[in-house]
Amino acid sequence: MLTIKNLHATVEGTPILKGIDLEIKPGEVHAVMGPNGSGKSTLAQVLAGHEAFEVTEGEVLFDGVNLLDLEVEERALAGLFLAFQYPVEIPGVSNLQFLRTALNTRRKHNGQEELDSVSFMKLAKEKAKQVDMSPDFLKRGVNEGFSGGEKKRNEILQMLMLEPRLGILDETDSGLDIDALKVIANGVNSMRTDDRSFIVVTHYQRLLEHIVPDVVHVLAGGKIIKTGGKELALELEEHGYTGLGIDDAEATG
Amino acid sequence: MTLAHKTPQVTLNPAFTPEGGKMLPQPLRHLRDIRSNAMTEMALPNRRTENWKYSSKYLKLDESLAPLTQGSGMAVGRAVEGAYRVVIRNGVVDTESSVLPDQNGVDIQRFADLDEVTAQSVARKLDTTIDNSTTQIASLNTARIEDGLLIRLAPDTSVEKPIYVQCVTDAQQSGSNYPRVLVEAGNGSKMTLVEEYICEGDEPVLVDAVTEMTLDSNANVTYIRLCMEPDNVRHVGATGARLADGANLDSHAIGFGGDLRRHDLQVRLEGENGFCKLNGIALTQNRQHYDNHTAIEHTVPNCDSEETYRCLAGDKSHAVFNGRIHIHKDAQQSHADMNNKNLLLSTEAEIDTKPELEIYADDVTCTHGATVGQLDETAMFYLMARGVDRQTAASMLSMAFVHELVGQVPLEDVREVVDVRLNQFIEASFKETNA
Repeated sequence: MLTIKNLHATVEGTPILKGIDLEIKPGEVHAVMGPNGSGKSTLAQVLAGHEAFEVTEGEVLFDGVNLLDLEVEERALAGLFLAFQYPVEIPGVSNLQFLRTALNTRRKHNGQEELDSVSFMKLAKEKAKQVDMSPDFLKRGVNEGFSGGEKKRNEILQMLMLEPRLGILDETDSGLDIDALKVIANGVNSMRTDDRSFIVVTHYQRLLEHIVPDVVHVLAGGKIIKTGGKELALELEEHGYTGLGIDDAEATG
Repeated sequence: MTLAHKTPQVTLNPAFTPEGGKMLPQPLRHLRDIRSNAMTEMALPNRRTENWKYSSKYLKLDESLAPLTQGSGMAVGRAVEGAYRVVIRNGVVDTESSVLPDQNGVDIQRFADLDEVTAQSVARKLDTTIDNSTTQIASLNTARIEDGLLIRLAPDTSVEKPIYVQCVTDAQQSGSNYPRVLVEAGNGSKMTLVEEYICEGDEPVLVDAVTEMTLDSNANVTYIRLCMEPDNVRHVGATGARLADGANLDSHAIGFGGDLRRHDLQVRLEGENGFCKLNGIALTQNRQHYDNHTAIEHTVPNCDSEETYRCLAGDKSHAVFNGRIHIHKDAQQSHADMNNKNLLLSTEAEIDTKPELEIYADDVTCTHGATVGQLDETAMFYLMARGVDRQTAASMLSMAFVHELVGQVPLEDVREVVDVRLNQFIEASFKETNA
């Protein structure tokens, strides 16, 4: 589904990603772990198409299409979804309006009929319930005044609505208590199918107790330095990144 | 002032002060004459006139605008359900098209119909809420009135439905008109006034509109001013309000740009525990110009004011905001918040913003903030990362920027009317950016 070959990216001339190779097959969940500043969030943002990052080398194929040639919105329409580490507050645009525009744009792109307001509302309420979100949040401005946990739940709600082919969770677990973590994990697990894949970017192992990955990668200094099964995450939990010879404190950018 | 010497003083073309006001009762005609005589000596604002710095060049008071606009009588404004309605066509109240309340304590009359005693009292009240030295062109209104609208609320009268005053201009021929409204809200009275400026016809016209309000103790007025005229109208208007103790003014001034739009809003808090909330939205595109000047005078202790204005400027348009808050020496425990946010939709648009705080009391809280910015790229990325294209994302964010204030307008009908225009505005603003 996703093939990343020798991906290099810089931000304002500073190299962050220094040759990433990754192959994700349909239905797989890959965890990307690493200390702060290792480049794991950059990888997520580069895949989504954030302009702040410049790809200097390498190639990314998404379902055979060169992802890097696509605009941000084209990537989303192709089925890529980034759950933001820091979801943006947009006062004045209601969550409902946002979700409906996004969903109907995607449906139109897929040759499906746009949802009318009644069916849309039904769907939105159903999915909101799934992430334990009160329907009141749907009427509020996008993420406006939401707590950290509410914002992350809103990300998962959007993912449930848009049903992407590839979901990228960028440190979705950061700042969540255990209950919220479970809600998020349940949301993701409910979407796991044979043809849908996930990249779960995280610093800690605890999310991976609830979203069990097929493959775990450890990213450090802009490169994948180790790949293994779910037991690799446990190993990291026990020995820390220093156990792999990585200085967790070297964190930059 | 030394510099002013070098600019030749241009006075008003005498064509603008012909005899008139024949329908007015004597006291009002007398006032009109006094103002009219004074006008002939008035220097027209030029770019050195501080409060007309950005707008004087659009005034263009040439002879073609001097005659009163004469209508076919076809322009009648729109019907509004569940509301009272007064039509002022070309500055003259059209009683036939109006739907007036039949409620004890609500007195609505046109100036032309006033008896001598009432006319005298009205004449004493006119021009008392607006500082004529800062709104030169608005004072032209008194010199040119042919009619006017008086709304008087007896104490403790609550008007059951909103009153729409629709100021309609017939622009079949070039000219000008001078709508005038006076509101006297008695103790503890309550009303919602919607002033809607519209125009039919394409000829260049000038609309010079003045509304004055006095709010007695604990009176509560919601004032909504909609400047919906098309490009051919140059609109200069002023609204003045004086608030007695415990009075409450909730103002929403919303307007779309044109060759010239100018609105002066002046509020004097004259009794303790008064409160005013002033919201404003100005939208400009193409080569339109919009200039909002507001002034809040805290003259006594313990009053609060909140002001939020937003401008959205696209293409090569120009928007101006000047917000003055003046806390007088004795006005301790005043709270004043002013916020002006501006959004540029194009690199060629211009927005000038100037908050002016003058504080002479030492125990007050005043905040002010003014920003001019472009669409937030972080928010754009967030929307686009959900599959929304750049054009739609930009439209959504622009809409959101003004919608926060539209949402505060307490009448659904008004929100709808504004939204229709807003959608047209946004659509036109972004139609070419999708390259």
